[in-house]
Amino acid sequence: MKVPAAFRNTKGIVGAVVVLTVLAVAILAPLLIPADWATRMDMRARLSAPTWAHPLGTDQLGRDLMFRVLLGAQTSIFIASAAVLMSIVIGLPLGLVSGYMGKTTDNVLMRLVDTLLSFPALLLALTISAVLGPNLQNTIIAIGIAFTPFLARIIRGEALRVAQMPYVEAARTAGNSDLRLITLHILPNIMPVVIVQATISLAFAILAEAGLSFLGLGTQPPDASWGLMIQASRDYLDRAPWTALVPGAAVALTVLGLNMFGDALRDALDPRTRGEA
Amino acid sequence: MSYILNRVFSMMLTLFLISAITFAVTNILPGDVAMMIMGTQSNPEALAGLRETLGLNDPLLMQYGRWIGGMLTGDWGSSLVFKEPIAPLLLQKMTASGLLVLFSMTIALACAVPLGVWAAVHANRWQDTAASSTAMLGVSLPDFFWGIMLILLFARGLGWLPSSGFVDPADDLGAAIRHALLPSLALGLGLMAHLTRMTRATMTGILKQEFIRVARAKGLKESTVVWRYGLANAVGPVMTVAGLQVGYLFGSIIVIESLFNYTGMGWLTYQALLNRDIPLIQASVFVIAAVVMLANLLVDLLYAVVDPRIRLS
Repeated sequence: MKVPAAFRNTKGIVGAVVVLTVLAVAILAPLLIPADWATRMDMRARLSAPTWAHPLGTDQLGRDLMFRVLLGAQTSIFIASAAVLMSIVIGLPLGLVSGYMGKTTDNVLMRLVDTLLSFPALLLALTISAVLGPNLQNTIIAIGIAFTPFLARIIRGEALRVAQMPYVEAARTAGNSDLRLITLHILPNIMPVVIVQATISLAFAILAEAGLSFLGLGTQPPDASWGLMIQASRDYLDRAPWTALVPGAAVALTVLGLNMFGDALRDALDPRTRGEA
Repeated sequence: MSYILNRVFSMMLTLFLISAITFAVTNILPGDVAMMIMGTQSNPEALAGLRETLGLNDPLLMQYGRWIGGMLTGDWGSSLVFKEPIAPLLLQKMTASGLLVLFSMTIALACAVPLGVWAAVHANRWQDTAASSTAMLGVSLPDFFWGIMLILLFARGLGWLPSSGFVDPADDLGAAIRHALLPSLALGLGLMAHLTRMTRATMTGILKQEFIRVARAKGLKESTVVWRYGLANAVGPVMTVAGLQVGYLFGSIIVIESLFNYTGMGWLTYQALLNRDIPLIQASVFVIAAVVMLANLLVDLLYAVVDPRIRLS
């Protein structure tokens, strides 16, 4: 049993608990909290510091920050997960084929991937988002595409390593087709690396979404995301620093949890580092 | 020598691909340069005329050829928003951002290396936990969040440093440095966290090796073992990661310069993207990607200098 190994150290357990809590919030909050609680404006309580009525304070329109941050979880998590899923859907076959086929195919594909890696991921995402027009769907596409080359590079390296293993050679000699070799013999053996990378990418995707929204090229109002909340707080920092601190803490906590869990997962699953920790 | 030639050839090919990708991505923009110049409410006939004059009706390949030809001969066109020739504009902004990159890299390396080594030497003890947790927190917060906190603390709270703006070093060096400090710190903190983690991981591996045990057995001082024997072997990998982070830095710089109103390359790119200034987007995205690629090439070449075991081949 490999997976539970990730839970054997404190870091992994704490990370997992945080990630599960955030996931639960993202899924349950929209079901349990009426949507208008996050948009209801209380003009008399604008930029109010945390009180009993508003435990985490209110923003410039008197909206309750606790409900906004709880409901914003859904948008941030959804965008990040969909973007990472998209980068896996594109990057996995790309990396697999490149690593398995080798030679010209590998050269051409990796040249392209290396070129894309010269573009800073955030710049690529911003450009794509500006080109497509900023909205929720395009934010996913922008982050998904920006993350693909990185993932393809890592998967290709793993596929290359696994493809040279004696058991793959044996399976090939036994007359299995390329497709069968890739799907049945190589893919299952690179999955641990894919899972680890997906977890770490998820953390980066949440940061990327926050960055994009902060610049106004990501999620757009009335959707509430954490990055958008920090952006809105910019003009009120002097009077109401909690308007930035609350969503900032939500981002930090989630990313921290994902990073901790990702680290523990890597120690447990990744063949390149397994046994080192 | 043949290695360097090979790398230069490969670099030219990558630059060509970078230009093609940049051009392709920006050409799927809805609306075009003619629309940008004349506005959305313009007369359709005049618009069609301008399109013809600008060559926007030509096949894409031809337009690309014209663009790349201009880039090669130094005619980078004019920005639609700033109404200025692009090449001098980019050069000026690149210098401003260069200052930030230099400062933040220095801050990050100066803190990350000692911290990472300290954590590795005390692996799995409280010192390691403290350093690693700090670094973990550092990579988990968005750069702009650090930026906001720094503004609140050093600009609004203590009033030590300006919260926004850019001053040309040629005009007033002191003011230029003061204006660059907070954005550099905001960029440097995230970077520092990444580099601390990397230094710690590399050093932990190195300190377990045979030659370290031999050095200790010889009776060398622990500081000599760690810094002369250990760190010398960690410089290469840490430098490689630092080089890779230049790309990350140029992504973050867009957010940080916008936050601090620091009018450098990142700010310029952001303005270009917001205003759909297509010629400026193309040029700045191309330049940033080229700079990132060159930084990585430089690191590869330097690797052979700091680590004589690596022969360039």
